[in-house]
Amino acid sequence: MVACRMEHFLPPDMLWLRLMVWETGKYPAVTEVVYPMRCMHCQDAPCVKVCPTGATQRREDGIVWIDQDKCVGCRYCILACPYQARTYLPKIREFFPGYGLTEYEKIGQRLYPHQAGTTEKCNFCMERVDVGLERGLKPGVDREATPACVNVCPAKALHFGDLDDPFSEVSTMIRRKSGSQLRPEFGTNPSAYYVAGE
Amino acid sequence: MKLYEWKLKPYDWMIKYTRQTEWIDRRGILLWLAFYAGGLGGGLYLVSLYFDSLWGMFTSWLIILVFKGGFHLAYLGKPLRFWRIVLRPQTSWLARGLIFVVLFVGFAAIQLCFSYWLPGTGGEVAFKVLAGIMAFAVATYTGFAMNYLKAIPFWNSALLPVLYISSSILAGFGLIILIALYGGNVDITTAEAGSRWLLIINALLIAIYLWSATYMGLSGKQSVIEQMRGSIAPIFWVGVVMLGIIIPIAISVSSYYAGEASYLLLIIAIISELIGSMALKYCVLKAGIYTPLLPTSAY
Repeated sequence: MVACRMEHFLPPDMLWLRLMVWETGKYPAVTEVVYPMRCMHCQDAPCVKVCPTGATQRREDGIVWIDQDKCVGCRYCILACPYQARTYLPKIREFFPGYGLTEYEKIGQRLYPHQAGTTEKCNFCMERVDVGLERGLKPGVDREATPACVNVCPAKALHFGDLDDPFSEVSTMIRRKSGSQLRPEFGTNPSAYYVAGE
Repeated sequence: MKLYEWKLKPYDWMIKYTRQTEWIDRRGILLWLAFYAGGLGGGLYLVSLYFDSLWGMFTSWLIILVFKGGFHLAYLGKPLRFWRIVLRPQTSWLARGLIFVVLFVGFAAIQLCFSYWLPGTGGEVAFKVLAGIMAFAVATYTGFAMNYLKAIPFWNSALLPVLYISSSILAGFGLIILIALYGGNVDITTAEAGSRWLLIINALLIAIYLWSATYMGLSGKQSVIEQMRGSIAPIFWVGVVMLGIIIPIAISVSSYYAGEASYLLLIIAIISELIGSMALKYCVLKAGIYTPLLPTSAY
């Protein structure tokens, strides 16, 4: 979550990656279960269908992203997403209210300008992926072409790769560990899979 | 634990029932008003067409242009980009809705000119038909826009557009009676009779809609519970049931048997009807709940 915030200079109250935490079992055998939650980059994404301006788009590689210059801030996509992965940015607030923007925030606004009045969500660090691909790197294998959250995860719990390639690391892992989508009955065919831990 | 008994804690996010807030809380209030104004304006235009009331048509045109358009624009995060909301009419109901509104405003403006300066011409009839179709679409599209959202099971019902158009025409009947009271060319007895039938139909539709929502999974059921016993229950019982159904029906039935309702009672019935219609849209928006991401057995 911190890497995501740093990568995209996310303003306060904005998280593209969140954790869903709950407890199972009964005392004393209680287990805490943690699910990282982000945009599922659904193959049949309802947010793409309902967007009236075409700001939400799905690329050929499956990444669902928002063109901030086209977003009108109607928030129809927020309601259409059953995974509640989208957040509306009403205005850009400072991290230290009343003290103005810090130098870090000012740099962030230049490097990764967020637009107040639009909707945002995880874009799988597509800027990194694109730059990496241009340099001939392989997303999910080379760090420079891999999303920031995957790079920094100390437990190596997050993986990124090509689902269309049956021999990619992620495809193999899903097959070997019976990976599953979260709430497949929503009918959106998410591209994010969850596998059981070791 | 039931939804109406607990407040969502940050770590309960998505694990338990989460209410949609974007279309009703804070600036979302503007969208609710826009939806209401669209329904009211569309319903009034259709009723005015039936009674051939020029004042009614003009009022509905103003309501849709100023209130529906104004509130909707004010709600948008980037209102100056509103013209972009026409790019995907093939899939997005909001895009279709804007097209309906723009076409209605255009067709109705031409029709009003024809009706005022060239009444009885073919052009007037043609534009009445076109504007009437668009008025129906403006009053109905919000129901379809919400009905399309599978993420919120309570709204994902084919009855919603039907309920919205019924409620809109009912509100239209209320306003046309008001116009008639102030000298509009409208037969009050016929308008009252139409209103009486629609009140009954609307009450039945609300009951059937809520009953059918209890079969839309646990989230749909929770939405109904939220309306009946949750934080919005006072608005539902007082606004929708008392003001929107019971008081107007009581006044309407009494006027049916007494032969004629007093001026004061008619005004009370109309105001009740209009508030009831507003409350209905508020409650439906407010009770929209997402399905939790974990099966109930997980917590």
